[in-house]
Amino acid sequence: MGKSSLEKVVEKGISFLSKIFPLKTYLYFPLLYASFIWAIKRVKEWKEEIFSLKVWLDPDRIEMKPDEFILNFFETNPALNKTYEAEIKKKDLVSLRKNFFRLYPIIGLEDPFLSALFYEELKSGDFEKIVKEFEERVSQAEKDIEAFNGKLKLLEGLKSFANEMISLNLDLFSQDKVQDIFAGLIKKSLMNNDE
Amino acid sequence: MNKFRLLKENISCLRINIKLPFLIFYLFLFLFSLSACVSHLKEAKYYYTQGQRFSRLYQTEDAIASYKSALREAELEVKKNPSAQGYMLKGMAELNLELWEQAEKSFLNAFSYGFEKGEEWAQQLSLFGLASSLEALGLGDTALKIYFYLLNKSKLRAVTVSAAQKYTDGILKRALQKKAEEKQKLLVAAFKVIEKLTNKDLSCGFYHYLQSQIYSHLSDYQKSFEEALMAKELGLPTLEIFRDNDLQIVFCYQQLKEKLSVEKWDKFLYQYKKWVKRWGWKNPVTPGWKKEAKHAPIN
Repeated sequence: MGKSSLEKVVEKGISFLSKIFPLKTYLYFPLLYASFIWAIKRVKEWKEEIFSLKVWLDPDRIEMKPDEFILNFFETNPALNKTYEAEIKKKDLVSLRKNFFRLYPIIGLEDPFLSALFYEELKSGDFEKIVKEFEERVSQAEKDIEAFNGKLKLLEGLKSFANEMISLNLDLFSQDKVQDIFAGLIKKSLMNNDE
Repeated sequence: MNKFRLLKENISCLRINIKLPFLIFYLFLFLFSLSACVSHLKEAKYYYTQGQRFSRLYQTEDAIASYKSALREAELEVKKNPSAQGYMLKGMAELNLELWEQAEKSFLNAFSYGFEKGEEWAQQLSLFGLASSLEALGLGDTALKIYFYLLNKSKLRAVTVSAAQKYTDGILKRALQKKAEEKQKLLVAAFKVIEKLTNKDLSCGFYHYLQSQIYSHLSDYQKSFEEALMAKELGLPTLEIFRDNDLQIVFCYQQLKEKLSVEKWDKFLYQYKKWVKRWGWKNPVTPGWKKEAKHAPIN
């Protein structure tokens, strides 16, 4: 069976990124997915969006949320409620606040880059792993992207990838569905490359 | 003799013919360079006005792109023809791009070319930079005083908005560490400060967002909801603040559901549903941009 247009575009995106980050396959999904989402929003400032990675709220603003807001965030999300049942029951705001700091940008504000970076953990509901590895993985991603010298080339590549995706009318699907489609295709493509 | 005259005329004709293209070329070159000089300033003004228009409409990305173009044109202008107006435009573009240090230098340059307010503006930016540095060094209280001074005195909107944000963040952070009574005092004082700014600039969605956040700390969810609604309608500067504001609306809805009397709740819900429809939300607790299935809240 021949490959769909979507598969071809994703493969092209991966092939482009594999030349830039040959050993950093973990970056492919977050970068491609975030580029697509930013393109839908018609964000013109690609450079700021991709290289600053400061798409989540200022840490100060997250730190100073009132206790009730934090408690509500954990209580009203079924998966979080289950994981943090004990803390919610005890109203352990010290622990909840610490976890909120890492989870709110991903689950609350649904930042495209971060939600793709922690896609597997979100799927399996392993929030504790996200909290534990958040700082390390985000700063590693920042360093890896920052270390690449030909930023303009990367931007142009991601831009043309996102535009090709939009031409396939993928923006008509919900973001949730698009993320799953992306994850599946990228995984498949990477596995084929390994073989 | 006639032959000689004819030859002379031919030669002078040839000279004119040789000179003429050169003259036309130089004339074009002169006119082109003149128009280029005029156009850099004109273009800078055009892009800056565009940036302001987009800012007012809260189309942040478009505004940033316009300010960047304005800055590029202003830089070319001051390179060729340094002037107070050129430097002022450059500084204003930098200010809107939050390039504080560069803007400070540009205003000082504008002052040296005769723009009287340049020095005062540069001083305000210098103060803002100082407050940020003090904050980073852990001297939050002193930084807070400077932000308070700036949000009261500065005539530069970008400085006032940034100072208001820093000031509110600082106060809320302190309030969280205080006991009930002291917390209340701090929050009320901060609220008055931001309310004053809102009254001066009622169309600034960001001030309403800040007010909504303070009301939330004061557990006044009805007012917090109203301010968040105003902020959403007027527009917010960044996507993450926009989303955070949406989640504040949902949070207020959930709190009011628990706290309001049945009669008041019914009245509120009737209005709320109208807004939800207007915004195109999936349901009362799921904004359009938010995932539904996986993270849908219980109630």
